[in-house]
Amino acid sequence: MRHYVTVGILVIVMTVLTYIGLNSAGLMPLAASAQAGPIDRLWNLEMITISFLFSLIVVPMVYSLVVFRRRKGDTTDAEHVEGNTRLEITWTVLPLFLVMIFAYLGSANLAETRRVDPEAMIVKVTGIQWSWKFEYPADPATGLTVVSDELHIPVGKQVLLRMTSMDVIHSFWVPEFRVKQDLVPGRITELRITPTVEGDYKVRCAELCGTSHAYMEKPVIVTSEADFTAWMMEQLALAEELAATPEGAGQLLVSANGCAACHSINGAPGIGPTWFGLFGSEVELSDGTTVVADEAYLAESIRAPQVKIVAGFETQLMPTYGFTDEQIANIVAYIKTLR
Amino acid sequence: MTQTHDKRFMLTQGVFIFIYLAVLTGLEFFIAVAFNAVPLLVVVALVKAALVAYYYMHVYKLNAEHEGEEGSYEYKSGTNRLGLWLFLISDSFVFGGLMIMRVNLLGLTRPELNQFLGLGVTAVLLISSFFMNRGETLINNGDRKGFLANTAITFVLGLGFLLGVVLVEWRLAIEEGLTPSSGPAGAAFFMMTGMHAFHVFTGLILLAIVWLNGRRGLYDQKNYPVEAAAVYWHFVDVVWIFFYPALYLIGTVIG
Amino acid sequence: MRNTNTLGRGLLLLVIGGVLGYGIGLGIDLLVSGTLNFSGSVASAFGLLLAVTAFFFGLYGYRGITRGLVWQVVGTLLGGFFVTGIRALVGSPTIFGAFFFSEPAWVFGALVGVVSFIFGVGVVDDWMKWARGIDTPEHHEDEPGWGKYFGVSLDHKVIGIQYTVTALALIAIGGTFALIFRTELAASQLQFLTTTFKLFNQTGPQIFNTLMSLHGIMMIISILLGISGIMNYVVPMIVGAHDMAFPRMNAFAYWVAVPASVLLLMSLVLGGFDTGWTGYPPLSARAPVGMQMFFLGVFTAGWSSILGSLNVIATVVRMRAKGMSAMRLPIFVWASIATSIIALTATQLIGLSFQLVMFQRLFGMGFFDAAKGGNPVLFQHLFWFYSHPAVYVFVLPGLGVISELLPVFVRKPLFGYRWVAMSSLAIALVGFTVWAHHMFTSGMNEYLRVPFMYSTLLVAVPTGVKFFSWVATLWGGKIETPTPMLFVLGAILVFLMGGLTGPPNATVSTDLHLHDTYFIVGHFHDTIFGGFVFPFFAALYYWFPKATGRRMNEFWGKVHFWMMTPSFFVLTLGMMRVGLLGMRRRIVDYDPALGLDASHLIMTIAAFLIGLSVLIFFINLFYSMKHGEKAEGNLWNSRSPEWQVPSSMYVHNYKVPFEVVGEPYDYGLPGSKYVEFMSEKKH
Repeated sequence: MRHYVTVGILVIVMTVLTYIGLNSAGLMPLAASAQAGPIDRLWNLEMITISFLFSLIVVPMVYSLVVFRRRKGDTTDAEHVEGNTRLEITWTVLPLFLVMIFAYLGSANLAETRRVDPEAMIVKVTGIQWSWKFEYPADPATGLTVVSDELHIPVGKQVLLRMTSMDVIHSFWVPEFRVKQDLVPGRITELRITPTVEGDYKVRCAELCGTSHAYMEKPVIVTSEADFTAWMMEQLALAEELAATPEGAGQLLVSANGCAACHSINGAPGIGPTWFGLFGSEVELSDGTTVVADEAYLAESIRAPQVKIVAGFETQLMPTYGFTDEQIANIVAYIKTLR
Repeated sequence: MTQTHDKRFMLTQGVFIFIYLAVLTGLEFFIAVAFNAVPLLVVVALVKAALVAYYYMHVYKLNAEHEGEEGSYEYKSGTNRLGLWLFLISDSFVFGGLMIMRVNLLGLTRPELNQFLGLGVTAVLLISSFFMNRGETLINNGDRKGFLANTAITFVLGLGFLLGVVLVEWRLAIEEGLTPSSGPAGAAFFMMTGMHAFHVFTGLILLAIVWLNGRRGLYDQKNYPVEAAAVYWHFVDVVWIFFYPALYLIGTVIG
Repeated sequence: MRNTNTLGRGLLLLVIGGVLGYGIGLGIDLLVSGTLNFSGSVASAFGLLLAVTAFFFGLYGYRGITRGLVWQVVGTLLGGFFVTGIRALVGSPTIFGAFFFSEPAWVFGALVGVVSFIFGVGVVDDWMKWARGIDTPEHHEDEPGWGKYFGVSLDHKVIGIQYTVTALALIAIGGTFALIFRTELAASQLQFLTTTFKLFNQTGPQIFNTLMSLHGIMMIISILLGISGIMNYVVPMIVGAHDMAFPRMNAFAYWVAVPASVLLLMSLVLGGFDTGWTGYPPLSARAPVGMQMFFLGVFTAGWSSILGSLNVIATVVRMRAKGMSAMRLPIFVWASIATSIIALTATQLIGLSFQLVMFQRLFGMGFFDAAKGGNPVLFQHLFWFYSHPAVYVFVLPGLGVISELLPVFVRKPLFGYRWVAMSSLAIALVGFTVWAHHMFTSGMNEYLRVPFMYSTLLVAVPTGVKFFSWVATLWGGKIETPTPMLFVLGAILVFLMGGLTGPPNATVSTDLHLHDTYFIVGHFHDTIFGGFVFPFFAALYYWFPKATGRRMNEFWGKVHFWMMTPSFFVLTLGMMRVGLLGMRRRIVDYDPALGLDASHLIMTIAAFLIGLSVLIFFINLFYSMKHGEKAEGNLWNSRSPEWQVPSSMYVHNYKVPFEVVGEPYDYGLPGSKYVEFMSEKKH
């Protein structure tokens, strides 16, 4: 009998110690969204349960190893106990209840994270190997949309991300916001986030998407509503200004479509050839021939990237973006300015 | 010597089962054309499959009472029988997976196919099962000549099915614009008929082997290999019992 | 043919073959591409293949595995040239590819290579004879000595050892890959796998993706081979059979895994693949040729799993000793049955899902191509329908080993034997209903996630039954802890951690944070080490005396355990911690701003310690085969039938058959017996 009492007490002690230990390990990042609240609460409940169940098994195990060790010289077998049907039923039915309760709690918890705000700002998110593109709602006055590779969102308001991928499966995740959602080519997936703490975060792709998966990250800036509006105005003005010239329009396209993920503009080596000094230079191709990087070459390289591949970049696949001829001309105009 | 009922009884039963299968196939075609009622078509397919599994594949033999001493030929055949059915259970998962693919990609639509041809190859395969059943019954009763004749007919019909699908059906489909790369309907059609055709092909190899060995007199007494080849052949037929409505009958044409 | 070649000769030929092969490959590449690619694929591929083949030739001569490998190489080349020839005739634009053959040529060549290996090693010889109407003797006598392990044997004990050694080889290779990339991950920013580093036509990050992917799949295949090894070795002898139900198919199932492993290694030199072992399209549809080698390698290895499990089921159903009713089966047999039910059926789905991607790549069949009306998420459903039950395949045998060994070292019956037996079946059954918990963020129907959460949490119930039964078995026992028992205890502890970290993944909302992070990596390393690795070592230490008549060194066994276990704890707790804090999976580099550098360094050190402990195990294993302390009797004082006869076993297991006359685990019941040999019975 005393064995059971001792073990009982030790289990309780161990549970408390384990839970304290887990909690003090600082395991979760800052909770910065309304969705994080329920998730962290459920996580906490799960930590308590884990601490208890861990102790429930480990304590009797270790206790047995100490107390029920074979004594020196004793070669007899232990007491012949085959089982205890009541106990078996108990430890089948009780966990069954526990499991169903958790499933129910999990279900309710999920519903909490999916609360819909009908006034949520819609941001179109596109994942491309290996960058993010965010399109904000059109400005009612000018009809212009801001397209950026940074996600700016106002604190305290729900944003609805409507997401798709241009190529392979990606996944949107900001650890501080907790929730995650894959971007699937050919369909639109949705994620609702209500940021609660201002700050600078990062979205990093959370589904293996190829060579530069590790580096597919962009800033997520949460500011006050006023600052957000100011930023939007600034971006719209910039867009309007740039849109006036071909190079400017090209620059807008380049920053929106994440070309910098592979092509540097300052000569640094990357996954793709650098654009610095590219226009007019001589380029050696993978088949051994040499071409001059004129407008026609650049335009073709954007429209049909697989036709001519630069030597040394044979294993890299540049996606086809489906730009219009005008867009391509603008991008080429922009590249021409990089010298 | 395998325990069998009276030879006459078994042969007659084989004929009746074939008649039921033929009638059900006709019914299936009619339901598809007239009502396009998916649940009914599923039920008909299940009934056909059950008939083949029970009467042609004699699945009840797995539960045989008197199997002889361990180490005897009968006991070993029983073990082989279990092994074969386990293999067929495993193989069913491939075809099940292909069905899931078809349902997920096409839903209640289907490719545009030549119905006359579809019904034709289906009939050929069903008839081949009939002759296989006859051949197996005959060798069980020591009739080598009858076994060889019926198995040869099975082989020819099976080859006819294979060529009908691969040479005629496929060519026709491609001409009509249904190719492996033309879209989900083409992909599903070619993959499903292709995997099935592959199994028909391996079935033909097994038939050829038992035919040649049968001619050498190897199955006059111990003929489990014939049972194995026959059961495998009927399995291939059962798969088609499901694939035929899935590709030809269920759903509206998308083109 | 008398074989007198030595290990030394084998190693010498390995080097010669490697150099020669490398030179030939370099030459061929020069002819085709016009440049000398020293770090290119063709040279390395030939070097690798010829080195391995020459090694076996030096060791064993031109037969068995050597002949299989030679035929595989020849078959691959013939198949490749055949398709290349057709493409040339048909007027295809790319007759050759970046890796000499075009992709279709490589796929067809690899397939022909696998079939050629099977014929070359000789494992289908008997069947080919039967097809021609020629009968063959039922038993084949094996050559004495270790030579028999390199060729076709029909003896389940030999095959069990072949499986186990191959599994250990794959663990060594897969583990080395892990140590390579763990070294890179020890600090943030790229240290040596940089974008300018190039090997086998891959840059540093691409090599990382390939090594990480290969680590995953090679470990998985090693688990499948390892469990097949234990089940093959133990099941016939523990049920009283003289061999498996289908000995030739048993040999076939083993030998097909060898060319499969060759294919997986080939992927490394054919451009690698960057998808992880999960191979999701669309990424896998556009990956290099190495992707196809991966797909085909796994497809082939799947045959091993399917046919092996078929054999186990047939053996247990048809070849048990007299008196061995269902409730008197050894608990490991229940575990093996549950495992085999899953492996027999679900494995076909990974084969199918990979086949569909292969055909999408080869023929443009747009199953998973959104642009062609396909559905990328369909792949995930088909894939995980196998790959979730697969993890129960990985752990059920190990959990069976725990249940089997505990009574022996506690001298008490297995508590609640019937419940434990049923729990294995329950886990297998429920395990079929949970697959989409890998897809909570995939974009599948959002409401569908809830039923999968319920079913996933449900698996905890039969698993809990096992844990409680194990604790109750230990309670009140008379416990001894030689090395096998240490690994059993370690297994329980580690699997407990794995099991407890399951529910946070099962509840959808928390999984949204955890999915695709290192938390998951920690969770599955826990469950796999607890459910397979630790029990595997326990089984090896336990049954080694039965196989060899000697025991492994106890001191070094304990060193192995005490070095591996704490290191492993550090590793998984570290993984889970960094995952929670934002470390994603499958990344070659991480942001220094995350502050995880110290954790990663500690994890890398822990990984190396685990590797060292495994090395110690290997040395102990091979040394003890010849020089271990003799142990020819019932070393562990077990009631199980195989321990009632001397080690090592008679070739057909029991010279005299036995009958089951009592319960398997009635330790402590005076005068009780489990089995009685026919010679003992009074007539």
